[in-house]
Amino acid sequence: MSIPPGFKRIENAMGFAEANGPWFEKMEDGRLIRGFLPGPQHANALGIVHGGMLAAFLDSAMGTAVFRDIQRRAVTLTLSLDYLGPARLGDWLQAEGRVVGHDEHVAQVRGRLYGPHHEVLAGLGVFSLLSRMRSLR
Amino acid sequence: MKTDDHPPEGFLRIDFDRGRPETTFNSHIGNLYVRKGEKGTRDEFVMGLRVHQHMCNPAGGLHGGMMMTVADLVGSMGGTTLIGLRKFVPTINMTFDFVAPAKVGDWVEGRCEVVRATRSMLFSNIYLTVGEEKIVRASGIYKIPSGDGLAFAKAKLDRGAELAGERPPS
Repeated sequence: MSIPPGFKRIENAMGFAEANGPWFEKMEDGRLIRGFLPGPQHANALGIVHGGMLAAFLDSAMGTAVFRDIQRRAVTLTLSLDYLGPARLGDWLQAEGRVVGHDEHVAQVRGRLYGPHHEVLAGLGVFSLLSRMRSLR
Repeated sequence: MKTDDHPPEGFLRIDFDRGRPETTFNSHIGNLYVRKGEKGTRDEFVMGLRVHQHMCNPAGGLHGGMMMTVADLVGSMGGTTLIGLRKFVPTINMTFDFVAPAKVGDWVEGRCEVVRATRSMLFSNIYLTVGEEKIVRASGIYKIPSGDGLAFAKAKLDRGAELAGERPPS
């Protein structure tokens, strides 16, 4: 399995994202899609992709969606996840998020993570918007 | 394996990959420890970890994905331990509130409370803490497989033959 066309590797990853990447991105019809190819290091005891890894990946896509949709940096306040189906190692996974509501302080975001065959994880999160002046570093 | 974790007394590293040719996610993300305490107390099952750079976000704090992974494990491994169940319980739903950050060098602990366990479902409440401060509140819903499910005996505590024969943490 190779990386699908159009996806670019996210450079400058640090810490957790670097240790569990590489992650990829692609713009499609105005939506930002993140993708990654799960390997053995992402597996749980059953040999499928670990729920924690799926959670981390969807969270990152949803946080990115906030910046994409309303140009604000954000951190996760709360996140609710429904595990809909297993993700297999070697199956290309994609995640995307969409801001469904926001005010000056918080944004409500829906997210989905899916494989080639079915939906894997559904998310609903509230993200705290950082000051427009502040960067994440 | 890192050796600079300096876990508090009583914490033993969990060996998730016993007999496996490749490192799986629980080992890949860093060392996780567990301490078993007196039955019926809040310390009956405590998971612990030392925060390292490879678990962090660009801001230098413990990554939310890492917090979620640990909370999920505390709710499932801890929850099944508390009810005396030896099965792998797949996660159905998790809800997380990220109430405070943790930084490199912090010792993070996770504890859970079983809200209810039926024949087919396990409901857990989970807290992650640094010292007395809560950093994550989470709740988890897990499926208890019918029949024998998967006998989940791959993880064990890394204390050699000393306590051979004792049941693994999950």
